[in-house]
Amino acid sequence: MVLGVSLLVWGLLFFYLLRLERRIADLEKR
Amino acid sequence: MIARFVLLAWVLVCLLAAFLWAPLVPTLGETTRVLYFHIPSAWVAVLALGWSMLHSLLYLRRRDVEHDHQAAAAAEIGLLFCVGATVSGSLWAKAMWGSYWNWDPRETSIFFLLLIYGAYLALRSAIEQEERRARLSAIYSAAAFVAVPFLMFVVPRIYFTLHPDPIINPRGKLDMDPRIREVFFAMLAGFTALFYWVLSLRVRIARLERRFIES
Repeated sequence: MVLGVSLLVWGLLFFYLLRLERRIADLEKR
Repeated sequence: MIARFVLLAWVLVCLLAAFLWAPLVPTLGETTRVLYFHIPSAWVAVLALGWSMLHSLLYLRRRDVEHDHQAAAAAEIGLLFCVGATVSGSLWAKAMWGSYWNWDPRETSIFFLLLIYGAYLALRSAIEQEERRARLSAIYSAAAFVAVPFLMFVVPRIYFTLHPDPIINPRGKLDMDPRIREVFFAMLAGFTALFYWVLSLRVRIARLERRFIES
């Protein structure tokens, strides 16, 4: 249970950071 | 992009190893796993606040706004990881000592650290003029870092504390099961890489904000 939640939280954090990075890259190009 | 996925895979493997491969410390039981989050969080907090101090000094020397971006971003992230270390430590304290908060020297020290760097962010948000904000906060950050080694390393050794010895004990040895040690150092490396990634993102946001204000 704790392992599952930990994996989910880390996965979501990385997903969020990757999206944020893509958004920043878009803004930098403008 | 590949580096990001390597980091994700690295952390996920570390998590699996922490839960399924590394043994439990008999005195800590299931709470052993907190070790893999609590200490790396504290380590990144010290690293980030040190990074902030370094760039604050560089700003005072060169007056380059890039150093101000680095110092501010590192202080924010340092504070975030400091909160992470406090929360994970508090959960650990509940399991081991019976209550979330005991005003133990370690807990008191980290509480003061949170106040000091909370005040840094308050100072930054209170000054509108960019050059003045950068200069004053650089002076504050450089001075504030003096408190970090004192509160994190000196105070807990002066007063009696329930907190266990640091990872490298006073005899200079690393008393850890080899498997716990491998997972621990792998997690430490993962947290450090995560810090530099988040730092680079925060600095790029600060540059964009500046460009937006100037245009």
